[in-house]
Amino acid sequence: MKKLFIVIFLFFGSQEIFSAGGAPCGDYGECDSFKPELENIESLQLGALTFINHCYGCHSLKYSRWGRVASDLDIPEEIFSNNLVFGKDVKLGDRMTGSMEPSVSETWFGIAPPDLTLVTRLHGSDWVYTYLRTFYEDSSKPYGVNNMVYPGAAMPNVLASLQGQQILACKDVPMIASNGGVRRDEFGNDITEEKCGYLKTIEDSGSLSVEEFDEVIFNLVNFMTYVGEPSRVDRERMGWYAILFFVVFTALSYLLFREYQKDYH
Amino acid sequence: MTQKSSGFFNWINTRLPIVNTYERHLSKHPVPKKVNFWYMFGALASVVLIIQIVSGIWLMFGYENTEEGAFASIEYIMRDIEYGWIIRYMHTTGASMFFAVVYLHMFRGLLYGSYHKPRELVWVFGMTIYLVMMAEGFLGYVLPYGQMSYWGAQVIISLFGAIPYIGESLEIWVRGDYYISGATISRFFALHVVALPLILIALVFMHLVALHEVGAGNPEGVDIEKHLDENGVPLDSVPFFPYKVLNALVAIGIFGIVFSIILFFFPEGGGYMLELANFEEANPLSTPEHIAPVWYYSPYYAMLRAVPDKLGGLVVMGAAIAILFVVPWLDRSKAASIRYKGVLSKIAMTVFILSWLMLAWLGTVPVTALRTTLSIIGTIIYFAFFLLMPIYTSIEKTKPVPERL
Repeated sequence: MKKLFIVIFLFFGSQEIFSAGGAPCGDYGECDSFKPELENIESLQLGALTFINHCYGCHSLKYSRWGRVASDLDIPEEIFSNNLVFGKDVKLGDRMTGSMEPSVSETWFGIAPPDLTLVTRLHGSDWVYTYLRTFYEDSSKPYGVNNMVYPGAAMPNVLASLQGQQILACKDVPMIASNGGVRRDEFGNDITEEKCGYLKTIEDSGSLSVEEFDEVIFNLVNFMTYVGEPSRVDRERMGWYAILFFVVFTALSYLLFREYQKDYH
Repeated sequence: MTQKSSGFFNWINTRLPIVNTYERHLSKHPVPKKVNFWYMFGALASVVLIIQIVSGIWLMFGYENTEEGAFASIEYIMRDIEYGWIIRYMHTTGASMFFAVVYLHMFRGLLYGSYHKPRELVWVFGMTIYLVMMAEGFLGYVLPYGQMSYWGAQVIISLFGAIPYIGESLEIWVRGDYYISGATISRFFALHVVALPLILIALVFMHLVALHEVGAGNPEGVDIEKHLDENGVPLDSVPFFPYKVLNALVAIGIFGIVFSIILFFFPEGGGYMLELANFEEANPLSTPEHIAPVWYYSPYYAMLRAVPDKLGGLVVMGAAIAILFVVPWLDRSKAASIRYKGVLSKIAMTVFILSWLMLAWLGTVPVTALRTTLSIIGTIIYFAFFLLMPIYTSIEKTKPVPERL
């Protein structure tokens, strides 16, 4: 019997059954974790600014409305209209339909840049956060860059001026033995081997440091997470009241149930 | 009813049997006094049905049943309609919870032999409800017109094409077009919001009328009708009101907590309730990497994929549902409840549930050779559980069922 359990355990524990179709973030492996801060209005405002300045030229947010973003992000309408809204004939009630005709962009890029309203819900914020930080130089590609998360992405690294040049580099890493431990030589020193495919930013090639750039992307993805589901903060806030209501409801009906149960027990 | 107010009610009641019906089916309806939590899921299923109908009506206020407008109208509901997101998540969470409570309700039926004589028709009506629910769920899933709506529909509708001779014409007839289009959406919309809900409500009514005719079962499998008091009311019963209403209220409270946790904190259910691929508008030119049904169809989808031949898969899947209808005639045991059945039934039930859960998981993940083998094993166990039921329930030794509850 014990042996049977071991066999079953090994069978179900085997890699082949549970392994998914590939790592969630492509060549990068596991995505970097991203925890949205949807009540951090400043971060959302900065993210919105980055989006409008760097992304909105090609990508629309067509299910979202200008005015909703302004009011949710506590940006006064006048400041918002003057600084963030493209085009004078755009009204605050309009949808953020992008500034490029899809047919034009298709000719330019070979594919129309997708609408990004729901991209964080489709791929997850982790994925977007990792994707935007894993462009690297690759002269074989039309825009000179490739992406680790989405190899062959038809998108230039539009934030390169901020990030600087990122390349794939090699480094020495400890060699892993077949038993999963680090291999050591007879003196007990770790044996290392050279492995390639690590992202490395060339210092001072961009206007921001790695940390500053990560923060810009954090704010941007934070904003995109908000746009994906603008009611999320409300939803999570109201959730506690709903649960509290049902807890009280359950408690009261249980007390009543217990009292009436005495009649027939 | 006090004497003073009875004038009006008497007037009504001599013309329309409100009071009699109320007393017969609700206030005085006798129910077994000792049941456990497994007996709450029927009441919860009717609560979810009401949630689905009400939230569905509200969704229709903002939904647009066209190829161009369907996907955008969902986002319109989510963003531009005040509290539209609650309505929408109520409906999506409700769909999953409907299947969850119905599966638990069905499992209760298997566990305690709720289909035993004279409750065969209650079971058959229940199974018909389940069948209609599956169709209703499928039609509804196509309406938001996301990638998974489109490709899921593509897979399911193409199954009709596997039927010999009429398959291809049938496929076109169901779609209303040569490919999934606005014509498909608008007919699926009509079926989802009018035709099937009407049938569903009628079936629920029949399920309840049949149930109230024969009376509810209990976990002991005791026939409470054998011992009646001088008024013909079973001694081991209590009136529905207020006793069982209070039971149900506690269950509804707990259900409300679970429902709220999902709706407000995990509306996507980890991608199992709202599949993430459905956050992208349907695109006939790009097939998603991995087409998976929502969790509640997954055991049957795993069976479909277990058979390499399309028609064979369809037959197996259909048979898997069809066989559930005849369970009352497959179980030959003298005892209704698993508590008094023999060891063979207990083993069969355990293996069946484990393999059903395995199939449910297999239906949600991409295929590999090993997983296909597991799906085949799971499918064989599923059918063996039912087909061998007449044998193992008649040869095993059952414990004597008590007289009283």
